[in-house]
Amino acid sequence: MNFRRYLLRKTVYVIITIFFIASLNFLLFQVIAGDPTYVLLPRGCGTSNVTGECPLRAALIHEWALDQPLIVRFATYLRNVFSGNLGTSITYQTGVPVATIIAPRLWTTLILVGVATATTMWLGIILGRISGWRRGRPADVIITLSTLFGYSMPSFWVSLLLIFSLSVTIRIFPVYWDFGAYARMDLLSTVLDYMWHLILPVATFVITNVAWFSLTLRNSLTDVLPEDYMITARAKGLSQSQQLRWHALPNARLPLVTASALYFGWVVSGAIVIEIVFTIQGLGQLTWEATTAFDFPLLSGIFLIATIGVVVANAVADILYMFLDPRVREA
Amino acid sequence: MADTTVVGRRYSLLRERLSHDIERFRRFAAVLIKNRLAFAGIAIIVLFSVISFGAPLLVGPYPTQLQRTDDNLPPSSAHWLGTDWEGFDLLTLLVYGGQISLIIGFSASIVAMVLGTAVGVFGGFYGGITDLILARMTDFFLVIPWLPFVLVLVIILTPSLPTIILAIAIVSWPSTARVIRSQVLTVKERQFIERSRAIGARQGFIVRKHIIPNVMPLVWAEAVLTVSNSVFTEAFLSFFGLGASGPDVIKSWGVLVNESYVHLALVQGHWWYFGPPGFFITVVVLGFAMLGYGLEEIMNPALKRR
Repeated sequence: MNFRRYLLRKTVYVIITIFFIASLNFLLFQVIAGDPTYVLLPRGCGTSNVTGECPLRAALIHEWALDQPLIVRFATYLRNVFSGNLGTSITYQTGVPVATIIAPRLWTTLILVGVATATTMWLGIILGRISGWRRGRPADVIITLSTLFGYSMPSFWVSLLLIFSLSVTIRIFPVYWDFGAYARMDLLSTVLDYMWHLILPVATFVITNVAWFSLTLRNSLTDVLPEDYMITARAKGLSQSQQLRWHALPNARLPLVTASALYFGWVVSGAIVIEIVFTIQGLGQLTWEATTAFDFPLLSGIFLIATIGVVVANAVADILYMFLDPRVREA
Repeated sequence: MADTTVVGRRYSLLRERLSHDIERFRRFAAVLIKNRLAFAGIAIIVLFSVISFGAPLLVGPYPTQLQRTDDNLPPSSAHWLGTDWEGFDLLTLLVYGGQISLIIGFSASIVAMVLGTAVGVFGGFYGGITDLILARMTDFFLVIPWLPFVLVLVIILTPSLPTIILAIAIVSWPSTARVIRSQVLTVKERQFIERSRAIGARQGFIVRKHIIPNVMPLVWAEAVLTVSNSVFTEAFLSFFGLGASGPDVIKSWGVLVNESYVHLALVQGHWWYFGPPGFFITVVVLGFAMLGYGLEEIMNPALKRR
């Protein structure tokens, strides 16, 4: 069966891509970034040194194997990455393995991104259906213009506006998200509180990203509507909603899956900023903290995880596309 | 006597050539203005360029340490948008801020266009293993999420105006390369290329004289869209505190939003601090995007029905 071969090819492709991502990571952080001891030991070791030498720095360089040839370090790096060892944080939480810091944060981000993407897609399909069906009419113009405007807004600014209007001025939603409080709460109130806090971040996400889906669906509906089978559907006497539901949408839906491929890169970027402004303790806020602390190993780990996540999500979308399109599936 | 006729002839030749160019530009401008999307985009871009680069005429010189007043003042008749955390007039900062955003947007776009067009043309024209490697490389860079990538690049290269421009260009070239490559692939198959080859034109000559002129219109449309993305990306970098900074560097709109956020304008309800710069970023990004889509529509009429 062809599908199985496609799956295999895709898997090999993903593994090769991950190898290149790891190589890029090594190149950026180990070769271009230079000596990490300079971040850790600023201005001549931190202690006054008469001879100008720095035994501490020399010791660190030896301990971190920075005196080894590049090719040896590269091999060590790859072995570590593929066995799940992402290194050790140097300034943010000194001495703690990067993977240990990232793991709990990953879940928070995945929940945010999952809920936000589902909501964005749902609303995007509704809006895209309306504007595709009423192309050129006022409803279409309003939807297209407002989604494009939302798409042009930087997500950090939308977050600020939403918090300002709905949390600071009219005190409906919380300003600050206290993750520590969940230790004292039972399951039900935890879930409810979590959902309550998620509303504004998800709204930000929807405002800035809904254009991906609404415009894609609108354009693919435009391609589908003049087709012969749509005329047949109308001639059969189907109502508008029946034409749309049974004939137009199933055909117009496919490009949505392709559109979501490029969308994942945006999701990660959007989530980072939204998490910072809404004080959500996920990968995004960790990125901010690692950035301000110049914690290169931590930053390198986050970059690796985020990029691999996007690559895998893309591969899944490709496979899903294959599964949804009977023409591709049975070819 | 003979001299004057030669000069006169040369002059009329020049005028003839110029008039041809002028006529061509006039026709292009007419089409551009008729496209409502492109026209609105141009209007926004011109307006904000005039405001930003005419700043010295509008609000006077860029404020120095001497012009500081009380910090975090609310809007008043003296300071229409209040003052920032250091006591500078926010309206002045806002009007000047566009300069940095636009300069970074344009420069990054130029670098990205050179990179993207080179990769697209080489891969598309030469084909074979060159194309395979370049196309795979493009796909690889396309899949990396842009914000973490650009953050990491700027941190490693240490933030400054040139490194920010370079980093934005590095994350922007792949989409251009892909568009240009597919265009080169179709141009390459056209008959006049085959004819040119038949009369003995070399590869380099064909690329220079036939391929590049034929993909240039698309490059322009891509360049405008990339300016939009670059302004957007610069805003994110600045919000992360990785904007161009220093005592004599003009603060960009993104930097203003970052400073308002860091200095708790949000919790204090100082909307006049973070509101206007964010709005300006949005409108400029939208303006370049509209012009870019409009240009694409003009170059490629097949898109128009969408």
